[in-house]
Amino acid sequence: MYYKLKLADKVRVPANRLGEDLRVVLLDVLQEQLEGSIDKEIGIFIVVTDIDEIGEGEIIPGDGAVYYDVTFEALALRIALQEIIEGIVVETTGFGAFVSLGPIDAMLHVSQISDDYINHDEKNSRLVCQQTNRTIGVGDVVRARIVSLSLNEREPRESKIGLTMRQAGLGTAQWLEDDHNKEIGQRSVDARS
Amino acid sequence: MISYTRYERARIIGARALQISMGAPVLVRTGRIDPLEIALEEFEKGLIPITVKRHFGEREVVVA
Repeated sequence: MYYKLKLADKVRVPANRLGEDLRVVLLDVLQEQLEGSIDKEIGIFIVVTDIDEIGEGEIIPGDGAVYYDVTFEALALRIALQEIIEGIVVETTGFGAFVSLGPIDAMLHVSQISDDYINHDEKNSRLVCQQTNRTIGVGDVVRARIVSLSLNEREPRESKIGLTMRQAGLGTAQWLEDDHNKEIGQRSVDARS
Repeated sequence: MISYTRYERARIIGARALQISMGAPVLVRTGRIDPLEIALEEFEKGLIPITVKRHFGEREVVVA
């Protein structure tokens, strides 16, 4: 889920930027420092939007920079286990599909797509279920559940997120629509008989 | 106005000289090059934007 956060931190303003507008410098420093970074408690920082309050500056012995107490607003994506998310398939491989959740990609393994046996159609970059002939390709919107989560704070790109679609109500937008239509058709048949 | 102790004076000028050496804008028109000398000149003219907080146990006094 995306969170709009209000955070407080000490921010280092380097000496060579002391003459500039403090608000702009603080925003720059925070954006440089936080955007794209991961914190296990807070989530994945997407953007630092605004500086709320600027406290007193402090000069620490041995450093020419000034440290300010700052409260600021930021937008972050915090992913929880068992959370249902919607994403777009960005890549397919023989072992599964990669789903973009926005700032980060998650992995959807072939074994977690469907109960079917799944073939990889490399030419059309899509995965095909052998029995039902349903497909999942690059650009498809999928609804899935987070089943494994390993965030790496040092190397955000090394983070691994695992998804599953082997549950009712999960799948690509197309599958869900088909299921829905089938159910409605079934219901009208029942009503008639 | 309370005057600074020699320790506070040293801390202020030292910190300011370090800032200047690291590229902070100079607040005085001067021909000097050595950051320490510039900091001293700024201090003499009362231009350094630094305040000192003295701690007396729980109490805190700002020297102005």
